[in-house]
Amino acid sequence: MPLQTQSEKMSSYLDGERVPHYRSLSGIEYKEVYRQSDWDGELSDPGSYPFTRGIHKDMYRGRLWTRRQQSGFGSPEESNERIKYLLKVGQTGINMDTDVGTKLGLDPDYPLARADVGLQGTSLCTYEDMRALYKDIPLDQVSSTLIVQPPYSAVIMSQYLLLAKERGVPWDKLIGTIMNCALTQFVGPTFQSATSFFPIDLTVKIGLDVMEYLIPHSPRWNIVNINAYNVRETGVNAIQEAAFSISLAADYIKGLMKRGLDVDSFARRMAFFSAAHMDLFEEIAKLRAMRRIWARMLKEKFGAREEKSLWFRTAIQTAALPLTAQQPLNNIVRATLQTLAAVLAGTQSIHTTGYDEAYSLPTEESHKLSIRTQQIIAYESKVVNSADPLGGSYLVENLTDEIEERILGLMKIIDDKGGFIRCFKEGWVEEQINQARYKLAEATQSGKQPVVGVNIFQEEDEEVKIDIFRHSSDMQAKRIQYVQDYRKNRNKEPVQRALDKIYNLTRKKPEVNFMEAIMEAVDARATIQEICDVMRRASNFDIPE
Amino acid sequence: MVSKKHRFVVGKLGLDSHDNGLRIISKWLMDSGYEVVYAGLYNTTRRLVQMALQEDANAIGISSLGGEHLYYAAELLEELKENDMGHVKVIMGGVIPPADVEELKGLGVNAVFTPGTMRDKILKDIDTLFK
Repeated sequence: MPLQTQSEKMSSYLDGERVPHYRSLSGIEYKEVYRQSDWDGELSDPGSYPFTRGIHKDMYRGRLWTRRQQSGFGSPEESNERIKYLLKVGQTGINMDTDVGTKLGLDPDYPLARADVGLQGTSLCTYEDMRALYKDIPLDQVSSTLIVQPPYSAVIMSQYLLLAKERGVPWDKLIGTIMNCALTQFVGPTFQSATSFFPIDLTVKIGLDVMEYLIPHSPRWNIVNINAYNVRETGVNAIQEAAFSISLAADYIKGLMKRGLDVDSFARRMAFFSAAHMDLFEEIAKLRAMRRIWARMLKEKFGAREEKSLWFRTAIQTAALPLTAQQPLNNIVRATLQTLAAVLAGTQSIHTTGYDEAYSLPTEESHKLSIRTQQIIAYESKVVNSADPLGGSYLVENLTDEIEERILGLMKIIDDKGGFIRCFKEGWVEEQINQARYKLAEATQSGKQPVVGVNIFQEEDEEVKIDIFRHSSDMQAKRIQYVQDYRKNRNKEPVQRALDKIYNLTRKKPEVNFMEAIMEAVDARATIQEICDVMRRASNFDIPE
Repeated sequence: MVSKKHRFVVGKLGLDSHDNGLRIISKWLMDSGYEVVYAGLYNTTRRLVQMALQEDANAIGISSLGGEHLYYAAELLEELKENDMGHVKVIMGGVIPPADVEELKGLGVNAVFTPGTMRDKILKDIDTLFK
């Protein structure tokens, strides 16, 4: 059913072109005009509690946001080349994605993993893989984000720490982030994805182990990035993204405090990873509201006293969900608007999603364009000259207040149900996500949510011309061979000893922090799946075959 | 809405876990009168074919966003042939480059839908497959 016939379209132009409604993406009705009567509040300066206007007094005058494009594909050697290319064209931080097998604790030769090796990220199953990935890259000079969730984050973090040790880089010089978000990292908090390959309670526990271990040992390292972005990409709205992720963070804080840690010892090392979607003002208001909610929650609910504990720091990725396969160049415009929203909202780092997202991983050219988009905004648009340039706008402040209220309302519902982790385990989160997905799909189908090239301004029989990223053809076979040879050619005895230790801990001493035992196993040359398999076996947990 | 009495097994193969499309397409199929057996994530081609056999399904729907579509399409079609189930339609959707759409059809996939295809077109094309 076409949305409008051609003649209806023509007559709508004659009548004056209008958008179908004036609601935000989350359903808030924008007013025709905002006046002083809509917002007459007080604002503290950027850099002052509750940090609505940003966590720094001078924001981007002090330092621009980090340009941190996600990368990672194929073998670690191939990814190393891409990282070097990105640094050469002006990327300022590394953002390393692992492949699905790595993210599920499977080696490349596991039958169900074979076809996915290296496709959505790079394959990192051994210590030597990490060494190859970071060849010629100084660990103490570039910050790195490692995209992997528990329990696999314990293995990848161990690989990284051991590499630093081998190179003589003290751990307190390391700068970066382990994503390490137990429930929302993988593909958002969808139930089957977070529960099929590892017991969920043990997943959460090992996530906390990683955090607890890093706090004293690598004090400049971020212990968790609460993944709000992947929550959002399931199709939920800005309010849900914020409420789900802050509620989950509250569960992590409670977990660490229960272990006897002082909130001020770790809160400054917790950060977020959020989305910037298409609704410019709503996204800006969302981040301003999140900063305020975080500051107040840490101070009032958790008793944090140090200022840095109250800083809501976030990386942003521009949303991939609104990008289209149709007329793919349009995605450059979308990503630019989203990147602008992230900057106007005062983020700490940005990944601008490639225009080829609906086709493949980004090509080198697309990756460069994403960095250039950020550089043009940074160096040419002048939006970085003043901190929180939209602060005091009746619209933005009114919307910030409204969104804050809605986020807090939803957080209260989650809290009353026993917290986010419990809501997840009981299937409530899954239900919310599925409802949101259907609603979003319906809005696109009905035209309530106009998408240029998809439900309006379509081009019949459009022929798409786009360069596509292609993996090297023998990459998977090589990785499978590699890990099989690796297992054959190492000293087996220390591997077995280290794995037995993890097995016994899992069975008999689950209260102990597993991080040291896992690091010993990586050091002894155990692969990621071997380490995960002993914990699975000790928990009598079967995985899909 | 006419009950078409056609039955789909709908799922994903391997480890790719992006299930937005799978959920939405399943709902659209059911809303339009198809029966859907939801196989979810982490399937092998063998498992889906066995399900199709047991459920007497007329079609298998696969969603793929991780770039593994060619690998699994070939395997799935082979598996169907071995089981003498050539009558079962294979429909794929997801992040699939234009050149691969042609290649998939060449392999014997009956229809391929890429991101942003509107519901009515998807359902119309699928209805046509069963005429």
